[in-house]
Amino acid sequence: MTELLRVSHTMTLSWRYGTSWYFAEFIRALRDERRLLGLRCPVCRRVYLPPRPVCGNCYAELREWVEVKDSGTVRAFTIVHTPIIDPTSGQLRPTPYGMALIQLDGADTTLNHYLAESNPAKIRIGMRVQAVWREERRGTLSDIVHFVEMNNQTMNDEQ
Amino acid sequence: MKRVAVIGTGQTKHTKARDDVTQSELVREATTRALADAGITIHDVDAVVLSNMELFEGRALPEMWVGEGAGGYRKPVMKIATGGTSGTSACIAGYHQCASGLFDIVLVVGWEKHSEGATQTGMALTDPLWDRNVASGAVGNFALSISQYVAERGVTPQQAAKVAVKARRNAARNPYAHLQMDGITVEKVLESRMLADPIHLLDMCPQSDGACAVIYAAEDRAPKLCPRPAWVRAAVTRHDQPYIGDLDRRLVTMRTLRDAAREAYQRVGITEPLKEIDVAEIYEPVSYAELAWYEALGFCAEGEAGRLIDDGITEMNGELPVNPSGGVLSTNPVGASGVIRVAEAVMQVMGRAGDHQVPDARLALATGYGVYAWSDVIILSTG
Amino acid sequence: MNNDTMNNDGFITAGVNLSFNYAAGEAASRFLIALRDEKKIWGTRCPACQRVLVPARSFCPRCFVDTGEWVEVGPAGTVSAFAPLSPLLPGEGLGVRVGLALIHLDGADTALAHFIGEADAPRIGLRVVAVFAESRSGHILDIAYFKPTER
Repeated sequence: MTELLRVSHTMTLSWRYGTSWYFAEFIRALRDERRLLGLRCPVCRRVYLPPRPVCGNCYAELREWVEVKDSGTVRAFTIVHTPIIDPTSGQLRPTPYGMALIQLDGADTTLNHYLAESNPAKIRIGMRVQAVWREERRGTLSDIVHFVEMNNQTMNDEQ
Repeated sequence: MKRVAVIGTGQTKHTKARDDVTQSELVREATTRALADAGITIHDVDAVVLSNMELFEGRALPEMWVGEGAGGYRKPVMKIATGGTSGTSACIAGYHQCASGLFDIVLVVGWEKHSEGATQTGMALTDPLWDRNVASGAVGNFALSISQYVAERGVTPQQAAKVAVKARRNAARNPYAHLQMDGITVEKVLESRMLADPIHLLDMCPQSDGACAVIYAAEDRAPKLCPRPAWVRAAVTRHDQPYIGDLDRRLVTMRTLRDAAREAYQRVGITEPLKEIDVAEIYEPVSYAELAWYEALGFCAEGEAGRLIDDGITEMNGELPVNPSGGVLSTNPVGASGVIRVAEAVMQVMGRAGDHQVPDARLALATGYGVYAWSDVIILSTG
Repeated sequence: MNNDTMNNDGFITAGVNLSFNYAAGEAASRFLIALRDEKKIWGTRCPACQRVLVPARSFCPRCFVDTGEWVEVGPAGTVSAFAPLSPLLPGEGLGVRVGLALIHLDGADTALAHFIGEADAPRIGLRVVAVFAESRSGHILDIAYFKPTER
């Protein structure tokens, strides 16, 4: 039997993605004012957060900014057990961790983000949650650390 | 437009790692088997369509580097990469090429060699502005949608586990399938490691090395080349918005599959899919998905998918066997998985499915599922 | 490791390190092992078109048939194409390698892409011979480069 070889290669890749006016405005409000903004479709009135340039259902351009709260309702959730590299830190994210689709108050779409809770028995669809913010914001959705259940909200980010 | 039939199929034995072949050689294995099954040579092939998720193995332009393994030398070759639907999309593209009348015989080959890949490449699939901030991988992403489906349709982990058991037991009678677990039980599925709540390890599809090929012939050639060709009756694709946060309740509605199936059934004149379809090979990345697909495909009413699996309706001896091959849950070389659905549906209609043959199968359904919510629906029959 | 950063100038930069492990397969493994263990270069002959393909491979892509006979080729050959290398950065040394070439090894019908080294006047038609690396692992760079030869 032939000795079978494998040839290895490591690629170091880097990219520089151009962003757009709606991204810039969303990030500016988040970073500078700790405000969350959605965009409303003129046809179906759906508020998109994160913002998109066009409504996927109506093909209409989105131009109207709408204030969205940093509290919301869990619409879907899971507890992730398989470790995966967190792209924002470059490190393995410790498991288990809670993750959800959260419909923020004022938005019609859901935001994929982390939950502080990692016990599935303590999470349910329809649960009310509140964002926990970092002390210093860099201008990214990771400026929200995670979401906690509203009645257990800690005081650490209140001003 | 010409009528088109599949006149031959070929696939490799799918495994965790094929150390003994390059991607080209793997593709050649499936290609030569399909050519033999069709009774033609590579020189009879007019065009080649390839299916591969090049990102996973870090190999750009696989149509160039691997195309020679599919006999692409001096032929028109194109590659399709659409996530999980790559294989079915490539089968639809090959069908279009043949139906156009521009090509008489078209070869479609899909493959993947996950053993050569890096798991982190999946990160590049996420949107860099928004979704890349939240790490979860494909399993976590799907688990989110499952939580909504479970809440609204009431399926249980036991019912999902029954789907996983059905798949691996069927695969034990398919010599090409990667995972063959004849002794698998619902208990073993539920005891297996939790990946992302509620998905257990054994609820999930594997990653495989493998290739699969199908050969199309136009209506004036097909009957001369093949005693019982599998005629394409419908081939429909639907894509959707990219963000799962924008897709309201993705699995619950599964509107792409619903829409594609509705159009395909209309083309063929199917009004009662459960009764009229003899066998289905549907692309199910995780056990829960198959239950959602039963509803989206109209096999049952919304909320009835659990009952369908409980009553054994989709087992091999049920009214509508689903995934006699073992499905994606048993074999998953991503670029090939969609082609395998079509090939297996073809084998059923041709009577060439061996130990996993559904008796008297004349009308078969094959589906593809990919990325967040893309769907392909293909219907084949003997006449 | 990945690291997405917000530049706040309208761009997001992202980076990643990815490692891949490609199977060489039986034919290429045998070819590479011969480089490593015997310092020999092998080709395979297509029984249909009779061409000797180098590096050795399991099938002829033109005829789409399995190759048969293994044929030793080289270690000398003729340069059929050449492009000089230049350092990408000032001060970046290239060592003895001066260019990339297609080398038609004696006995082969296909050309091998590799480096030319220790050559003052590389050109098409130059006769060259393989220089094997001291330390070899079963890799195409077990041949370090090709250098000019009188014969």
